[in-house]
Amino acid sequence: MTTVKTAPPVKAPGESRMRRTLSALGAGQAYIGLVLILAVGIATKGEMFLNETNLTNAIGAFASRGILAVGVTLVILTGGIDLSVGSLLGIGSMTAAMMLAKFSLDPWQIVPICMAVGALFGFLNGAGTAWLRIQSFVMTLAMLSVVRGLDRQVSDNVSVGTQIAGPDGKLTPQAEAFQVFGTPGHNLFDRIYYPVLAFIVVCIVFHLILTKTRFGRHVYAVGGNATAARLSGVNVTAVTIAVFTLSGMLAGFAGPIDAAYSASADPQAGLSFELDAIAAAVIGGASLAGGKGTIAGTFVGALILTLLDNVLGLNAVSDNWQLVIKGLIVVVAVVLQRPDLFKFLRGGSRS
Amino acid sequence: MKKTITLMLCALLAAACASKTPAPSASTDSGAGAKKKFVVGYSQSNNAEPYRAQLNLQLQHFLKQYPDIELLPIADAKQSSATQVSQVQNFITQKVDALIVSPTEPAPLTAAVQQACDAKIPVIVLDRTVNTDCYTAFIGGDNVLIGRKAGEEAVRLLPNGGNIVELRGIMSNQPQIDRDKGFREAIAANPKIKIIADREGKWVKEQATPIMQQWLSQNQQIDLVYGHNDPMALGAYLAAQAAGKADKIKFVGIDGLAIPDGGIRAVQLGQLSATFIYPTGAKEAAETVNKILHGQQAEKKQVLGTTQVTKENAAELYKQYDLSGQN
Repeated sequence: MTTVKTAPPVKAPGESRMRRTLSALGAGQAYIGLVLILAVGIATKGEMFLNETNLTNAIGAFASRGILAVGVTLVILTGGIDLSVGSLLGIGSMTAAMMLAKFSLDPWQIVPICMAVGALFGFLNGAGTAWLRIQSFVMTLAMLSVVRGLDRQVSDNVSVGTQIAGPDGKLTPQAEAFQVFGTPGHNLFDRIYYPVLAFIVVCIVFHLILTKTRFGRHVYAVGGNATAARLSGVNVTAVTIAVFTLSGMLAGFAGPIDAAYSASADPQAGLSFELDAIAAAVIGGASLAGGKGTIAGTFVGALILTLLDNVLGLNAVSDNWQLVIKGLIVVVAVVLQRPDLFKFLRGGSRS
Repeated sequence: MKKTITLMLCALLAAACASKTPAPSASTDSGAGAKKKFVVGYSQSNNAEPYRAQLNLQLQHFLKQYPDIELLPIADAKQSSATQVSQVQNFITQKVDALIVSPTEPAPLTAAVQQACDAKIPVIVLDRTVNTDCYTAFIGGDNVLIGRKAGEEAVRLLPNGGNIVELRGIMSNQPQIDRDKGFREAIAANPKIKIIADREGKWVKEQATPIMQQWLSQNQQIDLVYGHNDPMALGAYLAAQAAGKADKIKFVGIDGLAIPDGGIRAVQLGQLSATFIYPTGAKEAAETVNKILHGQQAEKKQVLGTTQVTKENAAELYKQYDLSGQN
């Protein structure tokens, strides 16, 4: 890249307004995508698509990955990447099932333990990235492998069921209570499907953290320009370690949801979930260069992915084409985020 | 300072990664007598599949019964044919007395098996085939047969015909192709039975649940769910249960693992109408290895049958195949 200083091009009148409109388009593009998919869903399947059960099912199936996406967004905002979240969810899920099967712990005890397990590995990711200066891509790729191995080791490669029957043949009270975490058909207060609630609450909490706290501002500052952030007094090391720890903690939190969803923890659970999580963040407008992205965007990105899956499934589109369409959606979403692309299309010079 | 730490870590990692290849103990004295101890290598295609984890357990268990046979640590190819070829070559270099291979794919492993054969090492091919005849024995289940049995069971369960949805394994996997083929052959016996939808569940329980939810919300009449393995059938069962339709739909799976989370237990609990045991062949492999090493004749092609798991025989089969307390 050579930087040749040229005189700024003479602007045509109205161009700045045009650019403003297009920038707004770029910022709202994730929402455009969501509206489009909803429109397609309603147009093709109407009532079948647009009812509470179907939408709950669709979002519930993606909820654990959505929660991972929130954590990954935090890391991406600082300019890093977290590839280990799928494995961390796996070990969280296995931890939950084992706590239930071996120690009959109550759900309210299981969740903090899983979060702590996830946070520990997340902290190690952060420590490796910040202190040993290993690129986060490499560090978390290694962690993906290490944690998956541990998961398989503790479980002996055998899945662990969560529907544990007591001596009377009925589910133990703990197993009964655990189902509320996401076994299909079990709702909180007979109304709310917990995975969906958990996903929304996580999104709201982290949206507030990023927009209303000093820590949130620091996260954006580190991703925008780490050197400038350091010079202006931001503790870059601490912020880096914090985002990885939070990402790990969220993956641990998603573990029990995943285990309850299948009523069983599989040693392979969460395999390649990190890719869905990153895709949701990217569709939602996060930039892998760091400093750009929002939790609201990630939330919408996750909705797009899961509703797309649902609409294609209801329309009986073949699995092969589903893969093609999903990949194309990611590309289109990312391209739409670049207002300068519109400028290029209009034949203007690119800065 | 940081540099030294990094360097030290690197050194540690390198030391940890240096694989400790066990020297073949071709002439170890087992206690008093200078009796020959045979060394056997086993290359497994993927330890992470529950069925294969079970196979590993069983093989270790059955080989323990022969005190003069030592099984080297099982080599896990992690679904990669390239890894598996190099692992097999390692075993050949170590001059093992016999080699057991569960090929990930036939074509890539053919050359490696040929090499072992050229090195005069007896090879037992377990579960999946290779494209050469230069092996000592093949032991494996017959997925077309199992699919056919599942289809026959579906015909029995739906005497008046009905609609079936099918959850397939990974499309390119041979077991998926065979289990589908056999099933379709068998249900052709009753033209009133139709497969109204089929999708790839990738062998995973978690993938099967949302697919079944979508099928249910399409408001079609579903009478039977055929899952290419038990986890997928059970994932669909969870979705049907949530929709309050589980008791109106029959579920048929395959694999019949004797683990608390497996298919035999599910039949016992009435979640699955039936499942079919996909035999691991571990017992037969252990017996065959023993025969070969002691110079006896072993049958070259051993195709294993299947056992249907029903509510009546589930408890007994679970006991028979359960190895959790023995290893």
